[in-house]
Amino acid sequence: MSNTATLSTDNKQTWGGGKSPLSISYGKLMMWVFLLSDAFTFSSLLVAYGFVRFTFTTSLPNEIVKPFSHLSHTFTEEMQKAGMFVTERWPSPELVFNHFPFLHGIHLPLMFVSLMTFILIFSSVTMVLAVEAGHRMAKKEVEKYMLWTIIGGAAFLGCQAWEWTNLITEGASLQNNPFGPTAFAALFFIVTGFHGTHVLSGVILNIIIYINVVNDTYEKRGHYEMVEKVGLYWHFVDLVWVFVFTFFYLI
Amino acid sequence: MDHIEHLEHTESPANMKKQIWNTFYVLLVLTVVDIALYFALLSSHSIYKNILFVFLGLVKAFYIVSVFMHMKFERKFLASIIILPMLFICFLIWLALTEAGYTFDSRLF
Repeated sequence: MSNTATLSTDNKQTWGGGKSPLSISYGKLMMWVFLLSDAFTFSSLLVAYGFVRFTFTTSLPNEIVKPFSHLSHTFTEEMQKAGMFVTERWPSPELVFNHFPFLHGIHLPLMFVSLMTFILIFSSVTMVLAVEAGHRMAKKEVEKYMLWTIIGGAAFLGCQAWEWTNLITEGASLQNNPFGPTAFAALFFIVTGFHGTHVLSGVILNIIIYINVVNDTYEKRGHYEMVEKVGLYWHFVDLVWVFVFTFFYLI
Repeated sequence: MDHIEHLEHTESPANMKKQIWNTFYVLLVLTVVDIALYFALLSSHSIYKNILFVFLGLVKAFYIVSVFMHMKFERKFLASIIILPMLFICFLIWLALTEAGYTFDSRLF
């Protein structure tokens, strides 16, 4: 290792060899390249959604049901009769995503998905705090924040499972959609499912890293860079959710 | 195999923790603004409403990438390698939405 210290750190020598021209390790650079390719995959899915969405008429303004009002058991049928849920019209997201666990029968538009968004943002913060603790070689703090990140990811997956179950019970699937065009439900399940798979693999990676931290693997290695690499992936999953949230729930 | 590796990396600033929490508050406020705007503009179907939501999404993305993903502190060259190819996505969006407009016009209900 002593020979690297004698090499020039002059800017002119950036591409002269003997050091990384981008001041980044091979593994982290490859993680960035992977994330770029994954960003293209998600963009193609979201652009496909945009295409289909643009070929349908926009939803009618909802003047029937107000927030916090009572939801009847035949809500979907009522909306179908009122012309809000018809196959030629894209449904308004506030009428589709209006349920909340343990608060059955109350119209709470977008409240549950907001909670999911907050959970994911918060788990992103604990992840970056774990990375920051890793720079200081503070093993106990890395452990603590990694654990919180894993809990946040698992909580998000639980929320998504609940939301999916709710929609499937109402009759939504890849071939069927009680809320309007079939493509709406199909795209929703494909895109949130693809994102959920990313969250699931992120949680599994986080668990592996957590076990390694506990077993002193990175302490012996002298750096916590693996936490950074998995952190990059985890933040990317959060980043994708920002756009999934914008396109599926807000627009 | 008890060797210590020396990694090349760019250093984080001294106030990193403060920057992390500031970014968290920005993301929190922007998400609340998103939901508030959704209900305030519920009856509007203007294209500008969609542009506004996409813009807010891009602001959130900028904060996540620059602070959480450490891109602000990396070499500019690395940032260009990763971010410039994203411009192709803009072309894809333009292409898809133009085509979608024609499909909408030719759709028979």
